[in-house]
Amino acid sequence: MAEACGPLDFEFEEPIQFSPPPPKRRKKLIGLDDLLHDIQKEQKRLDEKKIKQKKFRQAFDAYDDVVDAEEALLSECVDKCEKEIHQINGDEQMTYWGIQVFGDQEKLPLLEHPELKSTGLMQLFMDKKISPLLELNFEKDEDFLEGLLADGWLLHLMRASGCVEESIATWTFNLMLYSSNMRLMQASCDFWSAIFSIRDKQSDTCNIKIDWLPRYSDLKRALQTYGFSFDLFSKASANIVMVSADSVIAGPPQNIQCWIKFVGFWCQSRDADIIASTQEVQELLVIIISLFLDRQLVGLAVILQESLHSLLNSFKEEEWPNCCDNVAKSVASRLPCNINCLRVVESIGGVDERSKQLRSAVALHFLAAILKKKASNAAMILRSLTAMNVKDKNCDLFQMYICLSLAENWISFNTLSKDKAAIHELWVTCLRNCSSGISITDLRSYASNVRSKASYLLQSSASK
Amino acid sequence: MKRRTRIGGDGGTQGFEENTLALLDTSGFNASKVSHHLDDDRLAFLEAVRTTSLITDKGNAPTRKMLEAIFHILIDADSLDLVIQSYKLLVELDKRFPQLYLSEGEQSDSSSPKVSTFIMVEEAWSPFTFTMDGHDKKWDATNHSRSLVDSSGFHTLIKEIADVSVEMKSEAVDIGFMKKMLLLQYLVTVLEGDFWPRNSTYEGRISLFHCDGFNETMVDAYVLAENLDWTILRESLLSMLLGSRKITYKGLIKSSLSAMGNLSQSTVSSEEDSCSDKPQGEELHEVDRVIALALPEVEKSTCNVLKKFIIMIMELDSSKRTADQHGLTTRADGVRTPAVEIILDELINDGDVLSSFLKVFDPKWRLEIIVQYFQKYITKNSVRTRSSASAINTENFDGLLKYLSNSKRTKSIIKKITTEAIQLLLAYGFQAYVMLLHNESEGFSDMMEDVKSNSAVAVCEDLISAFTCLRREDPNTGILCCGKQALITAAATISNLRSI
Repeated sequence: MAEACGPLDFEFEEPIQFSPPPPKRRKKLIGLDDLLHDIQKEQKRLDEKKIKQKKFRQAFDAYDDVVDAEEALLSECVDKCEKEIHQINGDEQMTYWGIQVFGDQEKLPLLEHPELKSTGLMQLFMDKKISPLLELNFEKDEDFLEGLLADGWLLHLMRASGCVEESIATWTFNLMLYSSNMRLMQASCDFWSAIFSIRDKQSDTCNIKIDWLPRYSDLKRALQTYGFSFDLFSKASANIVMVSADSVIAGPPQNIQCWIKFVGFWCQSRDADIIASTQEVQELLVIIISLFLDRQLVGLAVILQESLHSLLNSFKEEEWPNCCDNVAKSVASRLPCNINCLRVVESIGGVDERSKQLRSAVALHFLAAILKKKASNAAMILRSLTAMNVKDKNCDLFQMYICLSLAENWISFNTLSKDKAAIHELWVTCLRNCSSGISITDLRSYASNVRSKASYLLQSSASK
Repeated sequence: MKRRTRIGGDGGTQGFEENTLALLDTSGFNASKVSHHLDDDRLAFLEAVRTTSLITDKGNAPTRKMLEAIFHILIDADSLDLVIQSYKLLVELDKRFPQLYLSEGEQSDSSSPKVSTFIMVEEAWSPFTFTMDGHDKKWDATNHSRSLVDSSGFHTLIKEIADVSVEMKSEAVDIGFMKKMLLLQYLVTVLEGDFWPRNSTYEGRISLFHCDGFNETMVDAYVLAENLDWTILRESLLSMLLGSRKITYKGLIKSSLSAMGNLSQSTVSSEEDSCSDKPQGEELHEVDRVIALALPEVEKSTCNVLKKFIIMIMELDSSKRTADQHGLTTRADGVRTPAVEIILDELINDGDVLSSFLKVFDPKWRLEIIVQYFQKYITKNSVRTRSSASAINTENFDGLLKYLSNSKRTKSIIKKITTEAIQLLLAYGFQAYVMLLHNESEGFSDMMEDVKSNSAVAVCEDLISAFTCLRREDPNTGILCCGKQALITAAATISNLRSI
């Protein structure tokens, strides 16, 4: 800054008071207030200079051109200052989303299946035509069975025999959820997926019977073993551990991906009615949504999305509106109402009607929970949002930011509501309040976030 | 081919573009210092595009600039979340706003129900940039951006994936590898979206030519149309990619094969590594854990995508063959060795590639390649008459099994191919046969008649006798695991079918 103003000095009759010699070495980090203070001082000084300069200019008209150039330089300085202020302001860290969904793993159960020896499959190995070729060592037949599974033959064998025996079904199911052998884990997941899809399109000619189907409790037990904190749901949402960006924690085993995929095709199968109640499917939906909040599972977003989608579509038409409401309510009451709720809403990202409805409902319920209002009274919620005075120093702008995002999601995906026009009007008023109520130089944390969010929403709602 | 402009007026979208891109505008910020900020802005941008283009009912397609910005995030970002979100968004946008699509419901002419024309969206953005020897100058003019992929970039990408996946230790995997795999997946999705509508239009026209071609007046009309039709395929992104002089076509196929093989095996090895590592370093750092959790799934889908890529090339080859037969190709098309030939060479030379290829490849083409593999070694009779009972048609799988169920012939063939290779080929060929029998893979009805022509029981019995011959002629080599698996399946199928 000093260099920029430097050239001016020689033109003044009396030397300008320069800013005091550089302050002694500071011990603590420069705080926001210090910087602000410096900048304000600097600006004051610049203003003074400007005034002086004006006087100076009146006296020396001849130097006009030179001065003009310098004025440009000065205004550049001011701009720079302003930018810096912004930057300081912008450095306010947005909290990270993420909660610790998985705690410590329990010991994965040992996989022993003595009953496999008696399966009909094993009888096949004795077939007189092929047994001389096989030279099977019967001590190792479980290894051989594993080979059949891993290389994709088991499915064809099952199809040939037309029946999946209970021992095979439980064996593959347990391999899928508890084995640490990636190959077997994936192969059994594919096996189950294929079995379900065969059953779904089966005709009279191609029939496959299955002696055992996993229940909700089996899935739940697996999740428990992985360390999923079901008490996440019983805790008050304030006590949930937020995860910082780089902590080291134990998470779920690799099997979690099979679990997620399995939930997807399990609930879509035609046996779904028998194996899970509507209540249980709702429960699963809430679990899947909460998995989106675990940072360790970020890489599994694609399969999580697929499972979410199939769960949504497994509800019957007549039960959907009710279920949607239940799920939204339980999500909002169980998961924390902070930055995480934005993540929750955004992760329900399907393009179909049900995803949109759920997204809107979840956003509404979160919003109602934050504002401590009833979700049924839409106008009331918006009014109390509008009533938040953003100019007030004590106004929690971070909360305002979250509310704005939630309200946006709720309103733009809302397909069910009746008095749309009235809500829209209230919404626009609220946005105007925020975008005009906060000046561009507002230095409070999150002020710029709220402001730009509001003006973005305002513009896009105007262009619609 | 029709061309269409997707967006009516410019005024509306202009504001939409500016408004959304403004979310990304961080020019005043020092990117290195506030990287989490940049990430937040990018996420907000992706979410905004998602919301406005996909979730809203009458969403507009994002503009070229916006698509480019998303693509840039995929290439540039360091956070897995961003990489996956941008990948997902690109794929979804490609599905919702395809660059090319078949027109439906415009078939006013009832006599030609098969002809479908595709519609090309003129201003559509594409992540590829290549010129086919100055063929289409427009590409150059409009796609000059630094981040787009050209043919050599595409090849390098596949090579890098192949290299990383072979020397991979579970801990050495970084986000860059994930990014490359996702990028490849997206690029192949784009190639597919461009190729299949063109190919089905082409095939539709050709088959129409065969049905109606004898009507004199129609021939004239269609000769013209047909000339156009091969151009449809010649102008496909895939054909331009393969025809590019910047890459060696053979090398591309070889890299794809080895990448496919390595990926299908690496999940196994990486898992073994992590198992042995567990006692010492049970708690991986979170970033590593995140990637380790995501990796198997991404590897699997990348392997699938490579499979699709190779299949697409083979389909292009066969379309080209029909075009050649109709005299539709010109010198401009160049000469290319069919992909099947190159693949066969690789399979014959490299046993590792053979087994991994047979395990993962699509049943229809797997069977085809296995049959051709044997063709190379079967001494052909001077004149084969189909009617005579003694001659066996070895051009399909059951014929092949019959041919090999004979000690004399088996003896001669194991001089040329190792017993292990024969077992692999037969076992996985049989698996493909069973898969096709149950119509597991969709859409390949032409093959089905061939498969079903002989009864399944006969095929199973032939398989058993082929293996019996093999065992008799080469008693030193035991039956491989895959052979045993195939035999058991055959036995089960026989006993089941007999019992009905």
